[in-house]
Formats: sequence, C-alpha cells, structure tokens
Amino acid sequence: MAHVVKSSKFGAFGRPVLAWVVGLLFFFPIFWMVLTSFKTDADAVKPEYLLFFKPTLENYLNMTQNYDYWRFASNSVITSVFATIFTLFVGIPAAYAMAFNPSRATKDILIWMLSTKMLPAAAVLYPMTFLTKSMGLYDTHFLIIIVLSLINLPIVVWMLFTYFKEIPKDIIEASQMDGANTWGEIKEILIPLAWGGIVSTALLCFIFCWNEAYWTVRLTTTDAATLSKLIEGNRAPEGLFFGRLSAVSTAAVGPIVVLGWFCQKQLVKGLTFGAVK
Amino acid sequence: MSNRVLPRLLQTPAVLLLLVWMVVPLGMTLYFSSIRYVLNSLRRPEWTSPSLSNWRGFGNYEYVLNSKDFLFAIQNSLFIVCSILFLTVVLGVMIAVLINKSFPGQGIVRVLLISPFFVMPAVNAVLWINMILDPVLGLQGIAVAGINNILEVLRNWPILGGFFSLWPEFEPMSFRATQTSAIAVITMVSWQWTPFAVLIFMTSLQSEDQQQKEAAILDGASAWSQFRFLTLPHLARPIAIVVMIQAIFHLSLYAEIEIVSRGNGNKNLPYLIGEFSNNNIGAASATGIFAVILANIVAIFLLRMVGKALMD
Repeated sequence: MAHVVKSSKFGAFGRPVLAWVVGLLFFFPIFWMVLTSFKTDADAVKPEYLLFFKPTLENYLNMTQNYDYWRFASNSVITSVFATIFTLFVGIPAAYAMAFNPSRATKDILIWMLSTKMLPAAAVLYPMTFLTKSMGLYDTHFLIIIVLSLINLPIVVWMLFTYFKEIPKDIIEASQMDGANTWGEIKEILIPLAWGGIVSTALLCFIFCWNEAYWTVRLTTTDAATLSKLIEGNRAPEGLFFGRLSAVSTAAVGPIVVLGWFCQKQLVKGLTFGAVK
Repeated sequence: MSNRVLPRLLQTPAVLLLLVWMVVPLGMTLYFSSIRYVLNSLRRPEWTSPSLSNWRGFGNYEYVLNSKDFLFAIQNSLFIVCSILFLTVVLGVMIAVLINKSFPGQGIVRVLLISPFFVMPAVNAVLWINMILDPVLGLQGIAVAGINNILEVLRNWPILGGFFSLWPEFEPMSFRATQTSAIAVITMVSWQWTPFAVLIFMTSLQSEDQQQKEAAILDGASAWSQFRFLTLPHLARPIAIVVMIQAIFHLSLYAEIEIVSRGNGNKNLPYLIGEFSNNNIGAASATGIFAVILANIVAIFLLRMVGKALMD
C-alpha cells in the first residue's frame, strides 16, 4: 500500500483517524474501568454522573477493608515471582543444552514439551485435586508455584531457545577451548550475552502466572488464593458495588498491563514459538 | 565428545518435571474414567473410593456420550471457539493492515490496542458482564434508556412527532441467558484476543516483500488486488498459527464461562467437567479424555507447522 497515499485522500487523513478510533475503542473498556474506580458506588450507576462526577479515592482507600486486597495481591506476587524464578532456573540450563549441544532428539523433545502445554487443564482437574489434597499441598503457595512453573516451562524453554540460538556458536566454543566448565559458561558467557532475552522471557512468564485463572481458582480456597480468585469470587455484584469493584480490578490488572506494554514485541516470539518472524 | 555429556544432561530436570506433570495426572484420569467412582453415594458406598474392583470399562464413556449435556457442551465449545476465531482473524487482519503504515501516534495506538491482551480473564469477564453489558446498570442499559428518552422527546415534536411515534421502544438485552451469554463470552474473549492477532499479523507484514509490491503497483494493481493476491497469501501462515494457538487456548476457556454463565446452561467442555467433578468422577474423567482427544486433533496440526519452522 506504499503508494496509496499519493492516490487517495483516505491514506493521508482517513487512515490515521480510523486507526485512532479503533485503538481508542479497544482501550475503552479499560478506560471505563479506571474511570468508574474513581466514582462512589452510588454515583457509578447513575446516568447523570456518566462522565462528569466528583472523583474520589475512597474505593482505593477501602480496598483492604472491602476485599482484603493486599492478602490476595501478596499471594499473586509471591506465587508469580517464585514461579518465574523457578521456571528460569530449570529452563535456562535446558534451553542452553538444546541450543548449544543439540542431539538428534532435541527437536522432538522441544515439540513434545510444547504438546504438554496443549493438554486441557480441566481433563486432569480431579486427579490434581485428589493428589494435592492427599499430599497436604492443596491451597499452599508451594503448590501454586510449582503448577504455575510447570504450565509455563514449555513456553519459557522455547523462548529462551530462540534467543540462545541467535548467539554465535563460536563464542561458546571459544570459551570451551579456554577450559571454562559448563556452569562457568552459562554464568559468565551465556547469561550476560542473552540478558535482554532472559529478561523479556521472565516478564512474559510473570504476566502469564499473574493472569492464570484455572488452577489458581480450583486449587486454592483462602491461604494461597490469588487475585484471579478474588475477582472470580465477586463475579455478580448486581451493580451495587461497581465503584469498589472497578478499583480492585484496576489495582489487579494495572501493573500487568503496563508491564505488558514493555514486552509486547516479545509476545510474538513467546506465543508463536518462533514460527512467525 | 565426552565434554558434551554434562551439557546435554542439563535438560533432564525440565524433561523429567514435565513428564511427571503430564503422565501422572493423565494416567489417573484414564484410570478413573474406566472405573465407577463417585464422591457421595449412600446406596453404593463401595463406589466412593477408587478401586479396580469397580471396573466399568467404557461404561463411563457411554454414559457421557448419551448425556444430553455432553453433546450440547461440545457444540457450544465449538460454536464459541469458531466464532472467536472468525472475529479475531477478520478484525485482526483488517486492523493490522490499517495500522501497519506509519502515521502520527502509531506507537500510542499500538499500545492502546495491545492492552486488552494483558487484562486477567477474571477481570475481563466481570468488567464486561457488569459494567458494560448489564441491561439496567451497565453502559448498555444506560445507552438504551438514553435512546428511549430522546425518542420520547422527539415524539412530542409538532410535525415530525408522528414519524417518531412509529418507532418502537428499544429493549435492553440480557446477556445472562444461555444463548446470549455465549455471545457475551464471545465478545469479551474476542476483545482480549484480537490484539494478539493484530500483533502477530503486524510482525508478519513487516517481512512482506516490498519489491514485489512496488512491481505490482507499477503494473497498475489496485489496492484491493494487492491485498488479495500479495498480502493475504503472505499472511496465510500467521493466520494458521493464530487460529491454532487460539483454538488450543479457547477449547479450555474457563474463567469467562464460570463468571458469566454459572448455572444458566451455557456450558463448554471444561465447565461440564467441573460440574461432573462435583460428584461423578468417572464421568468427569471420561469427559476429560474426550477433551484431550479434541485438543490433540488441533495440536497435531500446530506442532507440524512449528516443527517445520524449527527446521529453518
């Protein structure tokens, strides 16, 4: 469409306007949630206060008392952070082995890893409940950390693998010549070289952990319940609490949406497993 | 070569963890699916603990196949997934082509567009079903009431009033009935996943062959035929990938169904499994195996494509 600009007025004026309209339209529900979070519960459902109202912070100030927000938020932070660390801890050596010391089985192993991601979670719902309850792990941080790690491990290994493959093999081989051991190679050469890729993999893994809404809902009750569980538990407030519900929702998604802005480009790599370039 | 043994061993923890994670629960599901196993039964207390002496063979599968909920859940799963796929791919291609060329504020529009993808599913569902789609208190209700008020005023106009009094009073739509809540789910999930499609298509458009394009323009090809014969074929592979990745994600759609549709009959397979799991574990496990088969059909195609990309 490079030359359409010359030939039609649409390209010069209509295209940007339409693009902005589409962008704003998609953002509107989020904007609306944030706007509503500054209204009192009573004002939030009154048509006369749709756009112009007296903004208040009371919904945010009362979040602890209304929803016990910080308990759920801290569970989300703890489980997501530790799951991300654990996934990287297992994933970096695996991706290193596959990228620099491939064997004939490497490709099959990678694809098999991906196939574990495709098992519908619901199919193993009862066995998971049964196992975790009988092991005394149900509703513990430890369990949620392990589950989040395992569901994200395939994507993390894939992403790291695609980043590691971009590092010239010569560098790694040279360090082998110099007699560096494997651990030294990973620590001194690989991690510094692939730092950018590792950071964006970690961010994306963190986002997926934070937003996970099947196991965190089904395998917790109170102790390890995350923000997904909190929101799910308030699914039908029947309009009485739009203000406070918006505030707690905004607090739950705000940091992640902002984080997402920074790793949108890596998303393509992470979710298409390198198949789209 | 011996110095390669240790590096290769480094992948074993990841492989073993995933192997256990896959094999153990799935094996249990298979086992439970072939025995009689319920959580509560006063009449047959021996069924309440898993045991080989309660062997049922394919009986649970037969029971599930014959329950009317199962067929409906499969149909509904497919209806929801296919609608979302259609909407996200069509909108995704259109938006990607629209914003691919640079214009003032392109970066900001990109950021605005991608934002819905990072909203957690539970918030997405609560936000849409309450604040936007609610027939009385949501924006839908407010908008319909507003239109009706305007019509009311117009009806009292001296001359044109007669014309407007022919117009009907608009009725807000409830999105909590079986069929309409499926539409609500489709809307909210498409809102969340269209950005994903846009992002992938845009990435792919950037690698489009510009020389070919310019040649086509010199040959006098119209914008439409450039799109139809150059851009669309170029997007074929990303479209296939977007379709398959989303199919896998949406076949196990759960939070949105749970929040929007609890108790109103708009079930999909994961929801049905959850329902069976309240008591009939045998049936829940058999349904789970069906869900695995369905997901595998999609997965095989995706893995083939990814496998090919890996060869490059």
